[in-house]
Amino acid sequence: MTGELEGQLERNIGFLEAMTLGGGTMIGAGIFILPGIAAENAGPASSVSFLIGGFVALLAALSLSELATGMPIAGGSYHYVNRALGGFFGSIVGWGMWTGLMFASAFYMIGFGQYLVGPMPFLDGRALVVLVGLVGLSLIVGVNYYGTEESSQLQNVMIGTETAIVLVYVLVGLFFVDTANLEPFAPTGPSGIIATTGIVFVSFLGFEIIATVAGEVKEPSRNIPKSMLLSVVLVTILYALVMIVSTGVIPYESLGDSLVPVSDVAVVFLGAGGVVAIVAAAAIAAISSSNSSILAAARVNFAMGRDDLMSDRLNVTHPRFGTPHRAIVATGVLTGLLVTVGLVVETIVALLAEVASFSFLVSYSLVHVSLVVFRRADPDVYDPSFRIPDFLYPAVPILGVLLSVLVITQMATTIILLGLGIVGLGMAWYVVYVRDHALDTGLLSEALAGEIEDGYRVVVPIANPATQTDLLRLAAATAQAHTDEATPELVAVNVLQVDDPSPGQNVEAERLEHQHDLLEAALTVAADLDVSLRTRALTGSHVDEAILETLVEEDADQVLLGWSGELVRDGYVFGPNLDAVVERAPCEVSLVTLHDETVGTPVALAGPGPHSQVAASRAVEFATVDDSVPTLLSVQPTTTDGDGDPKARGAAVIADVADRAGLDSSQYRSAVVVDDVEGAILDAVSQYDTVCVGLSERSDAERVNFGTIAERISQEATGNVAIVRGAYDATESPQSRRENRR
Amino acid sequence: MALTGESTILVPVDVSTVEPPDSGVLELLQPVNVVVLGWYPVPKQTAPAHLKADHESEAAARLATVVDQFAATDHEVESVLVFTKDRRDSIDRVADQYDCDAVLMPGEGGPIDRLLVPLRGDVNLERIVTLVGELVRASDASVTFFHAVEPDADPSQGEFVLRGAADRLSEEGVERDRIEWTLSERDEPRADIVSLASEHDLVILGETEPSLRERIIGAVLSPILDEIAIPAIIVRDID
Repeated sequence: MTGELEGQLERNIGFLEAMTLGGGTMIGAGIFILPGIAAENAGPASSVSFLIGGFVALLAALSLSELATGMPIAGGSYHYVNRALGGFFGSIVGWGMWTGLMFASAFYMIGFGQYLVGPMPFLDGRALVVLVGLVGLSLIVGVNYYGTEESSQLQNVMIGTETAIVLVYVLVGLFFVDTANLEPFAPTGPSGIIATTGIVFVSFLGFEIIATVAGEVKEPSRNIPKSMLLSVVLVTILYALVMIVSTGVIPYESLGDSLVPVSDVAVVFLGAGGVVAIVAAAAIAAISSSNSSILAAARVNFAMGRDDLMSDRLNVTHPRFGTPHRAIVATGVLTGLLVTVGLVVETIVALLAEVASFSFLVSYSLVHVSLVVFRRADPDVYDPSFRIPDFLYPAVPILGVLLSVLVITQMATTIILLGLGIVGLGMAWYVVYVRDHALDTGLLSEALAGEIEDGYRVVVPIANPATQTDLLRLAAATAQAHTDEATPELVAVNVLQVDDPSPGQNVEAERLEHQHDLLEAALTVAADLDVSLRTRALTGSHVDEAILETLVEEDADQVLLGWSGELVRDGYVFGPNLDAVVERAPCEVSLVTLHDETVGTPVALAGPGPHSQVAASRAVEFATVDDSVPTLLSVQPTTTDGDGDPKARGAAVIADVADRAGLDSSQYRSAVVVDDVEGAILDAVSQYDTVCVGLSERSDAERVNFGTIAERISQEATGNVAIVRGAYDATESPQSRRENRR
Repeated sequence: MALTGESTILVPVDVSTVEPPDSGVLELLQPVNVVVLGWYPVPKQTAPAHLKADHESEAAARLATVVDQFAATDHEVESVLVFTKDRRDSIDRVADQYDCDAVLMPGEGGPIDRLLVPLRGDVNLERIVTLVGELVRASDASVTFFHAVEPDADPSQGEFVLRGAADRLSEEGVERDRIEWTLSERDEPRADIVSLASEHDLVILGETEPSLRERIIGAVLSPILDEIAIPAIIVRDID
């Protein structure tokens, strides 16, 4: 048996399904119910209201597409806002979307009642409309509760039929348009047009449903943006045409009085048969739109539960049907209450539509803000495959927020109060429930912090609680030595090794907690050292790769790694995780073995190697920990070809190294050992507490090699050992580097 | 455990119900590697992530029980847990991913002593015979090859296919007296297979359609699979 078991999730929604889900919801009920209300409020210009609504929706779809391809997880707008702006705004959007979907669903069901009851004038309207609506709703709730595996083919056929009927209506209707009816075009003026946008915006929430099920879409990077943008554009055009036809065939005043506007228009040019077709299409539309809304509402609820913003008790799946039955029933009951309100409120349809629009406009504004936050904070998890093109950013989010706010300001006062009430509900929910449950704070502060400052940055990978304090102390010492050049900063990273990192995978909580504790402890250490430290929790299948990637991302100046001091022979030198970092890190590398508690007096071996001067600088930096003066030690052989005094030669080497390191003579002491025996070097070195050795670049094998003397020191020294190498030019390959320096 | 070079068979198990694998199948699959695919059906109205959050541990425990039953052998047993709305899709994907040679379709039955192996000519023949050989070499089960030729065609052509398969199987180390064959000259291979299946304990079929989805339970195979009650193994046509 291999590996641990981890449940995989399938992605089963293809492009066509995403289109029918999104487009189907949009071509749904709105197209049959809204023309009456829209005409009443804006006259023939209501087609412009739909165009404006479509444009606002398109902006939101652009932002949502980027976010959804960056994090294809269930929850849609709610999820992105919660991640970007934290639980407070998450709570507002979560509740806003949930209630918005319920209001929309109630709106569809009342429209459903109107279309079924409408052709039968002998029946008493109101109560029956509500009753039919409630029956339809129970049907949908039942289907969702039992999780009936509806055939998607049937669904495609139904939505295809409905779309075909609407197309026939538009194409035939265009020939019956009486241009006299289109005068005056905009009886209510620009503000009336925008106010109408507020009512009809509910039609466009279908594309949001695609984002809500983003976690289930196949090839999300391609299918999500394509289906969202395409469905918005097509539906906008269709709605505008429907409005032109409807207001062109019947004067808008009488259209406004109709509860079943499309069928009243159709009777003019399609006759009784046309009306039957329209009623059938309207019924299908209402059912499918309402079904997608309830389906999406349950997913929003689930996503809130997942982030601890909602009680898990509401989010249990049924043991037998596997459906989120409690969330569905709760949604159904509340929607039913909204439908029932229709008994007493005359203008219920417009009201429901407008409140739903309000909620979604607020959500989309926050989505636009979240997009900006994600782009600025740029967290590791965010790697969208669809990005808003550069020339449209930040125009899209800014315009999106402005237009959403503009539409909201034109809404009726009642609606604004109701909508703000729902926003208040989200806020109150945050205060009484979320604050104590959810810990996610979002990325807002990171986004405000802005770009990483270009300071001297030391990255310290930590894994062992026993050594991390000392590692951080050394790192702090080297970082602080560069204070005059740039603000020093430490970055503590821990890599959680997982076999195959995928967004759906759950890393065991225990290991995550361990990682969290390690990084938390690092922060405490840093506070004591009075140095600024950031932590980064990484996950990756290869520790070395993750560290190397971080070094590039952070534009690090140095990486300081702990090393057990043992040489691994198995094809590795320092160990499987260290070798690649030592070999390929673009910055300076310090490999530190801690034997001694104190840094004491460091010594650096001054030799001809290319990294001697870095070793010397490091010794100076480390010395600051204990306020000592480091020694530069040169070892010279006694036998020479008559090349002068070995002592003087040693002093010259030391002076040269110090010069290259930019040290002046007060910062170090010199020591020259004249001996041929390696043992003598080790004896000399062993008098110091900490030894810094430059990494040798001489190597015949294609792997890290650090010279025999350095190797012996690292093995036999009783104090701390630091093996140091300078920064590499990133453009140079290890191969050519060796050849150049040989 | 390293891959032993034997065939690998995918065994899909519905982990939403307690459904212990059949003891006959367990015994039959002992000589080969097994990939157990635990799939949890997700209703259309539910978010798969939601169901996973609620039922993952329970599903994993059931899958582990099934895996344990297979794990008694020396062969590699791997397992995958999937929350899916489309079982076929998952089977196709996992079979591909784990390089499975065949997929087991569960059915009713006790001990498996008689295997029915319908052949469609040379298509996939090598793979089918190799797998049959591996499965029955160590047991004393009998194997019946079946082939149908058109009524007015030359029956010797069909006999040639069957004899060839029988020869290949005995090369695989199965005694000749355990191998039979039936040649049909009626033009109703499907009905023949269904009626023959009632006298056998397991049927091994080759994939017929080229498309990935159709290959596992394609248009041709599914009516047969619907009509027979015994378990079936479908040998994939990987190349």
